[in-house]
Formats: sequence, C-alpha cells, structure tokens
Amino acid sequence: METATAAHTDHHADVHGHEEHHHEETFLTKYIFSQDHKMISKQFLITGIFWGIVGGLLSVLFRLQLGWPNETFPFLESFLGKWAEGGKISQEFYYALVTMHGTILVFFVLTGGLSGTFANLLIPYQVGSRDMASPFINMLSYWFFLGAGVVMFFSFFIQTGPASGGWTAYPPINGLRDTAVNLGSGLGFDLWILGMTLFIVSALLGGLNYIATVLNMRTKGMNMFRLPLTIWALMFTAVIGVLSFPALLAGCVLLEFDRLLDTSFYLNNIIINGNLLGYKGGSPILFQHLFWFLGHPEVYIIILPAMGLVSEVLATHSRKPIFGYKAMVFSILAILVLSFIVWAHHMFVTGLNPNLGAIFTLFTLLIAIPSAIKVFNWIGTVWRGKVRLSSANLFAIGFVSMFISGGLTGIILGNSAIDIQLHDTMFVVAHFHIVMGVSAFFGMFAGVYNWFPRLYGRYMNETLGLIHFYITLIGAYAIFFPMHFMTGLPRRYYTYANFETFNNFNFLAEFISVAAIIVFLGQVLFVVNFFYSIFKGRKVEVEKTVDGHDYGNPWGTTTLEWTSPIERLHGNWPGDIPPVHRWPYDYSVNGREYIPQTEPLKPGEVPHE
Amino acid sequence: MVTFLVFATIVLLFVVLVLIARAQELTADLRDGKVSFHNQSKWNGYFMLGFLVFMFVGSAMCFKILTPVMLPEAASEHGVKTDFLFNITMLIIGIVFVLTQIALFWFAYRYNESHGHDSYFYPHNNTLEVVWTVIPSIVLTGLIAMGMYEWMHIFDPNARDKKMMVIEATGKQFNWMLRYSGKDGKFGERIIDQKHVSPTNELGINWEDPKSHDDFMADKLYLVKNKPVLMKLGAQDVLHSFFLPHFRVKMDCVPGIPTEFYFVPTMTTEEMRTYLQTQPWWQTINPETGQPRWQTFKYELACAELCGKSHYGMQRDVVVVEQKEYDEWLAKQTPMYVPTVAETAPAETPVVDSSKAEEKKPTAMLGKK
Repeated sequence: METATAAHTDHHADVHGHEEHHHEETFLTKYIFSQDHKMISKQFLITGIFWGIVGGLLSVLFRLQLGWPNETFPFLESFLGKWAEGGKISQEFYYALVTMHGTILVFFVLTGGLSGTFANLLIPYQVGSRDMASPFINMLSYWFFLGAGVVMFFSFFIQTGPASGGWTAYPPINGLRDTAVNLGSGLGFDLWILGMTLFIVSALLGGLNYIATVLNMRTKGMNMFRLPLTIWALMFTAVIGVLSFPALLAGCVLLEFDRLLDTSFYLNNIIINGNLLGYKGGSPILFQHLFWFLGHPEVYIIILPAMGLVSEVLATHSRKPIFGYKAMVFSILAILVLSFIVWAHHMFVTGLNPNLGAIFTLFTLLIAIPSAIKVFNWIGTVWRGKVRLSSANLFAIGFVSMFISGGLTGIILGNSAIDIQLHDTMFVVAHFHIVMGVSAFFGMFAGVYNWFPRLYGRYMNETLGLIHFYITLIGAYAIFFPMHFMTGLPRRYYTYANFETFNNFNFLAEFISVAAIIVFLGQVLFVVNFFYSIFKGRKVEVEKTVDGHDYGNPWGTTTLEWTSPIERLHGNWPGDIPPVHRWPYDYSVNGREYIPQTEPLKPGEVPHE
Repeated sequence: MVTFLVFATIVLLFVVLVLIARAQELTADLRDGKVSFHNQSKWNGYFMLGFLVFMFVGSAMCFKILTPVMLPEAASEHGVKTDFLFNITMLIIGIVFVLTQIALFWFAYRYNESHGHDSYFYPHNNTLEVVWTVIPSIVLTGLIAMGMYEWMHIFDPNARDKKMMVIEATGKQFNWMLRYSGKDGKFGERIIDQKHVSPTNELGINWEDPKSHDDFMADKLYLVKNKPVLMKLGAQDVLHSFFLPHFRVKMDCVPGIPTEFYFVPTMTTEEMRTYLQTQPWWQTINPETGQPRWQTFKYELACAELCGKSHYGMQRDVVVVEQKEYDEWLAKQTPMYVPTVAETAPAETPVVDSSKAEEKKPTAMLGKK
C-alpha cells in the first residue's frame, strides 16, 4: 500500500476500498485551520491549558486579598496598575477576579478544554471512524471557542474592566448597563455576553458533531454496548449541552435587550439612589431559572467526561474490566435525565414557592443514587485488580476520592431546609470546588497523562507527574477540606473585617491562600512537563511495524485507538478500519492480560454482553 | 527585589525538578530499555496508605481546631431543627466518607502490581449492585423526608403565630433599611411610582396614609426573645440577601418582588453571651479588642448575595432582648414622619439612610447620601 509513504496525506479510504487522493498540507491547513480531529483536540487542549493558567492566576490574586486582607503587595501595582493601587487589590477588581475566575474555569477550561479535547481525540479513535461526522463544523467549533476566548480576554484590558457581577450573571446588577451600580456591568459585561454567545455556538457545533459521530460512524461490529465508557460519557455530555445551552443563550440575549434596548424582561421597580427607573413588570428570578437550566446541567457537562475518562483509565491500569459496565451506562443516563430537573436547588432562598423547593430537594437528592453506584463501581474495579500506579491512574484514584468527598456534602446542600443557612456561604464554595472543579481537573489530568502518547507519540514524564499529583491531591484537600468549616461565612466577601461574626477565620484563610499558591505552582509544573514532553518525552515503544507504520500500545488497552499507528495519520488507519468483535473490557481473561476489541471471538467463546 | 528573588528561586526549583525528572527517565531507559512500573507502583502503594492516614489525621485536626471557632448553636426555633438535620446528615456522610476512602486507598495499596498477583476478572455482580443501590436509596429517602417536613414547616403560612411582630427590611447599595411599624403595629402604605419615590423618600411611603405617621427606621434590628417575627423583605436596586447567620435565616431580597421569612428568636444577646462564657474558645482574648471573645459577641445581619463592590460591608447589629427592654427601646424611637416638613415641603420628607447608622435622630438624616 502506498499509504505507508506519506504520513501527512489525507486518507479517505473507507472499509470497502482505498480510493486515495493525496494533497499536500500546508502549515496553515495542518496546524491552524486543521479539520483533523486529533489536531483540533490538541488545539482545544493547549487553549484550555492557557485558560487554566489564567483562571488559576486570578484565584491566586484574590487569595492574596483573602489570606492577607491587611497587607499590601507592591509588586501587584506594577502588574495591575490602577486595579491594585498601593499594592492592594481594589474592591472592583476583586469582584472582577472572582467573576472571571468562575467564568473561565467553568466554561473555558472544564467545558471547552475538557470536552473539546477528549471528545475530539477519543470519539473518532474509539468508535472506529476516520474523523468527525463533519470535520469542517468541528473546525468551526474550535474557532468559535477561540473567538469567545479572545473576546473574554480582551475585556481585561478595557477601562472599566471585565464583568464583575458574578459568573452567574444575575440581573439586576448585570442587567443595568450602569458602571455606577457596578463597574464591570458596563462594556465588560457586554463583552461577557458576546464571549458567552460565541462559546455557546462553539459548544453546540461541537456537541452536535460528537453525537452524530457516535451514533452514525461506528465501525463494523461496534454496537452501542461495545462502546467504551468514555464514549458514553462524552456523548451524553454533548446531549446535555445541546439541550441546555440554548436556554442560557436565550437568557443572555434577553439580558442584553434589557441592557441595551431598555426592555424589562428581568427588571421591575428598580430604584437607584431614590430615583425610580422606568423598568416595569420583569422578574430577576426568571433569569435565574434560565441560567440554572443550563447552569446545573453544566456541572454534569463538566463532570461526566471526567467520569468517562476515569472509568477507562481505572480499568486499563487495574488490568481489570470496569465493574458493572451496564450499571455505569445507565447511571450516566440517570444523571443526564435528573440533571435537567434539579436546577432550582440553586434558588432555594430566592423566595420561590416552598412546594417547588420540596420537589427540587427530592430530585436533587435522588441524583446521589446514580452517583453512589458509580463510586462503588470504581472502587469495585480497583478491588483485586493488578493496579499499575502510574500518574494517570493515580489521578483517576484521586478523582474518585475527590468525587466522594465533594459529592457527599451535596447531600447536605441539596436538602433545602439545611441550605437556608449554607446557601451562598463558603461551605458551598468548598463543596462545588471539590466535586466539580478539583474532581474534573483530576479526571482531565488522568486523561492527559493516559492519552498523551496518543496525542504526541511520547509519554509525559512520570517523575514530574507524580510530584504534580501529590502536590495537587494534598494541596486541594488542604484548600477545600477546612473551608467546609467556614459554614456561616458568606462567599464573595472582599474582607470579613466588618463583621465580628465572620472575622474569626483569618488564620484559616491565610493557610488556604498558602496552599492555593503551592497548588498553582504545582500546576505550572504540569505545564512545564507537558511542553517538555512534547519535544523531549520518552517515545512510545514500537511493538510491531506493518507496511512501514509503527504500532504500539503503551498501556495495553483493548480499545481501538492503539490499533492506529503511533504517528497520527489523517484518517487514522492506513488501511481498512478494523471491525470490532467484543466489548472493550476484556482484561485478564482467558489467561491473557488483555484482548483488543478487534480480536475475533475464539470458537466457543461467549461474548460478554 | 524580594519579589524578583522569590520568582528566581521558583524558576530555579522548576529547572532542578525537570533535570531530576530527565535523569530519572534516562536511568530507567538504561536499566531495561522499557520502563517498568513495578517499583513505582510499590512506592506509590505506600504513599496511598500514607495519604489515607494523612487525610484522617488532617480531618481530625480540622474538627478539633475549627469546630470551636464555628458559629455557636442556633438562636432560633427552626435553626435548632435544621442544625440537627445538618448534624445527622453529617454523621451519615462522615461514615460513608471514612469507609469509601479506606476502601479506595487500601485497595490501591493492597492490589498494586508490585505484589505479583494476577488480576481477577470480575465484571459485575447483580446482587452487590442492587445492594448498593437500595441502601443509599433508603437512607436518602429518610433524609429527604426529614428535610421536606422541616422545610414545609418553616414556610407554612398557617403555622404562623397571629401575634407575631412584622419588620420590613429593604436592601440597597450598600446598607439595610429597617422599618418598624411603630405603636399602632401597622405599616404605612408604600407606593412605588414617580410621585412617591424620590431621593428623600426612597421607600415610596405614602405620607397621606396615617398609618405611616408612627413608622420609624431603626439603626439596629431589635427582636424580642420567643416572639415570632415575620421579616418582610425587599430590595431597591439589585439583589441582596437577608442573612442572619446565628438564627439560620436567609432569604433573597429581590427588586420588585416581595419575599418574607418567619422565625422565632430563642436567646437574647445576653443569654448567648452567658452561654458562650462557658465555651473554651470564646474565653480566649480577641487580639483586636483585648477582651474575651464572649464579651463582645453580637448577633449580626449580613448580605449574602453579591450586590456590588461593597457587598461585604452591609453589616447591621441585631439585638435580641426581653419584651420589657424592647418596649423601652420602642418608646425612644422617633417616627420618621415629621408633620411640618411633610406638609410644607414634600421634597424634604424624612429620608432614611441607614449608612449613618450611629446617628439615631431621623431628622439628622435628611437628604444625606
């Protein structure tokens, strides 16, 4: 086959034959306007890493204020200018920091960066497809994502600064385009809306593509119950996104109408300094419903891909099938369905009808059941495995630990009667950072360490990986475990000095800030490792060479991605797409360490289905 | 200079780490040409156990050091019940936390590949899965039932005492306006339109309504022990949230939409101080005041919904007293309605600005921003 000669040629060989049409790829089409799912995956990942650093840095800045409210840091003024006059972060900038920290990490890192990277990388590889259903729309998805990021980043450099009314964008504070009410509610918030709109377009284009690819482009023999859990998770994630993001878009458009066209969707009887404004008849609570109709599913958009990655990594590195495969699939499905009917638990104390609060308590706590099933199944997977404690697997184990710790406190917060006290306090901050922030990062790191060889043909450095892991695990617990004890302290406070009641935890705030800075440096170490390994990492061992293509399987996985050569061919497989004969978790069975999905059943062998 | 040195040290540290990591990788390559995870798994197995111990020791320390610093026990009827619910949920999840973390990290240690065993092909077990679906379901049903019962009780309008007192709290950037209904126990009407709302009458009080004539604005939230209170809540400009941490009371204040919260304070400020006097942490000296902490204890009102740059500053003192003391305080309050001013010059109708909290005379607040 001629295919062997050209690594960077476009192969559109399908299962039935190999029609080939070579065309030279330029730098522009290969690296910039690429339609190759693997390159787009890298683009999402590296953009996500950039946003991860920015978002993390913002948190370090506001932790300086929270940890040492009475100190000044003169070097801040040299970097931030008027935002930190005299070395003290201004109130306005503090709120811009927390707002943008939330926006960036929730959307740009843990939605775009996480789903974008792994859905793009794994869906075509693991379902056995040459690329996405529409590579062009896939490319657009990345470019809208990048555009959204450019707009968001730009908002840091305007005079009134970026949005500062909270990442939840609640009106009226964000509904009045008046910098006297809130500095960030001027142009900064317009840019926020524009950025989010572009982001939502990106998420929808990407999501539709992921769903279409999984449903339509599976290789021969790949029926749905032979899909690895990564694919189930990524597909359901895309379904949630496609169904819920439009609600946020609608909410944001109406909000911008209120701001620019003086409509009253969310505003009613607003009185500023004794002057009654002309808004009549709107409801600020309506926006909260629209926001959380996305906002709550959003946390599952963040956590489901991490769950999928972790399931796969745990099984591979434990050399053992995932425990309860179908239970895992159906629990993801249950989470998907329930995720749409729990949103008002963010609104228990908005004055909503108490009957509604009771119903939402019911559904919210129900979601603990599929989550519990998943946790027990992961622990069951490790049990009696032959566990390889690589960086990837350690992060997967760390994920399970974090998800347990953070998930359990959700049972407290989901109970409306208890939430009265805990709502909008540091307890909530601790809860959601562990269960969705840190956990999702652990899942993402597990994925990056595990699939880095697939992306770059090299391993990441294990020593640095281990240091990174322990800093992150210990550090994240050090930050967020003690934070639970600040139960009554409201969140988003610039300082607690005005309150006798809240002013007792300064020693803890300082401890948390120190831990946060260390954890941030640990993440920088990851970034160093990442870029170092792209160029200098240990290469994947070649196990066999067929038709000039080198093949390897660094972790000994059963799934399809390593039936493709180590180098990343456009089109993934030089010849036919291999058909699939078995489920993806045949580890340690029939006296074999693992049996690839492509291996036909032996005579008399009963498939696991 | 110090900044630069710190920065340089960090960079140097990173370089050293990368070099070590590189060396590690090269020696591994020299040893057997193919990296084996055998040793790494072994050491990390021990680290997993070590982390498990660290986590439990750390948690125990958190409980020991931080629990005494937390808010004291609830000073309201429903607060005691929701605290109980919190504690019982905490107990249950605490048990699950300990068991699952032990299982997770113990298995990671016990079954790591350095032990030289084979993996056990064990894809599923229906009985086990049913068990660990049903047990959480039962426990959660219990928690849901208790939570719902309490929740519906807190917000049940029929369960309210008819003799409750009613206080109006309105949030604005950046303070609270606390309106009491005065001697007649009835609030004057508020009309939100251009005619009534003005910088000198932010609440839009209809001064023609005689019920408004004895209404007064308070600088502190005065409550009576064991006397039910209904807080009528609202906001002027943006969202605020009425938060009384010691009473476990929180309710958003929404411009244009009235909300309310009904509760019963059960301990006077003095009683709380007396109670705290017996608590070791509260006996320690507060370095800022130089007094034992219990002595300066006070109930406070805070804002719990991000409302702008001074969100963190919306503080008001809350005082719970016996009825007698409350009556004395009530007698000293001056209505904000000032007849002569109101009749001759409506523009100068008394205005309420609680940012001047220490100035008690309403007339002194006229027209001030």
